[in-house]
Amino acid sequence: MTQQPEILHYAVSVVGKDRPGIVAGVAEVFFRLGCNIADSSCTMLAGEFAMILIVSHPRPFSKSRLFDELKPVCEQLGMSLAVRTLHADEVARQETMGEICMVSVYGADQPGIVYRVTRELAEQGINIMDLNTKLIGTHDEPVYVMMLEAALPDGQTPESLEAMLADLKKELSVEIGVRVITPVAF
Amino acid sequence: MVTIDREIHTLIEDLLDTMHDGPGSVGVAAPQIGVTLRVCVVDVSANRHGKENNHGQLCMINPEIIARNGVAVMREGCMSVPDYTGDVERATEITVRFQEPDGSAREIAASGFEAVAIQHEMDHLDGVLFLDRIVCLKTGLFRRKNYR
Repeated sequence: MTQQPEILHYAVSVVGKDRPGIVAGVAEVFFRLGCNIADSSCTMLAGEFAMILIVSHPRPFSKSRLFDELKPVCEQLGMSLAVRTLHADEVARQETMGEICMVSVYGADQPGIVYRVTRELAEQGINIMDLNTKLIGTHDEPVYVMMLEAALPDGQTPESLEAMLADLKKELSVEIGVRVITPVAF
Repeated sequence: MVTIDREIHTLIEDLLDTMHDGPGSVGVAAPQIGVTLRVCVVDVSANRHGKENNHGQLCMINPEIIARNGVAVMREGCMSVPDYTGDVERATEITVRFQEPDGSAREIAASGFEAVAIQHEMDHLDGVLFLDRIVCLKTGLFRRKNYR
């Protein structure tokens, strides 16, 4: 019986001023080292480019090797770098059973929109799977937009979530919409 | 064009078996089980999104969409691309013409979830996956902009 080599996983984040060649520069290191890019999300935020990646490599391998190879590339690109080793039980995928909802919040920019809404969700045990915010509108009338995807625990419905956020909606004078986006499988 | 013979009837049985075996599956197209023929089956009657509005079990040979109307976005997943989902834009109402397994021609007007399911399965006949149709909500909402 052949033994499967143990796979090590790392969380890598790279952030810095946007320019062409960042992804290619970072991906080249992973390719050279034989790392697999499993899940990744890379996006432009204002003028910054932010990369978050889960990469894997079979043993023998080390975090310091990965860091030492990435560091000069990131330095040359003027990017910050963070690498963290993932524990085996962190890698296991989490399945959700409940409905998945898109919560959209928008209104006049003010402190606390993200905090107040997400605090409410956290207290109800609602897990956020994706969250994007954007400042839009004009300089004089900035409008804040937050879109988040959340998994509802058993017993919660989109209607109950919307009702739960109703007071906050009034207090902050923002629009809060909830709609079901649970994928349909074909 | 598919000619209806005994092999097509066997294929349809295989498609129905595959659909009934897949948990929650509402349709299967021949290319998904390795047969490159224009045949697919759809049945949304047991699905919570489709139970109020459907034509029951549809076995469609040489299906053609002859009219489409409306647009809606739904998040789709597919057993041919497991673990990945995306927002896809589809017509909300379609008229489909196809042949039944007995060779007779049929035309139906489908809407809502059933219309989406038919469009998804018919895409497989052209080798198109939902991944090819994903609309990016983010770039749609927030067009390119300078931050200076």
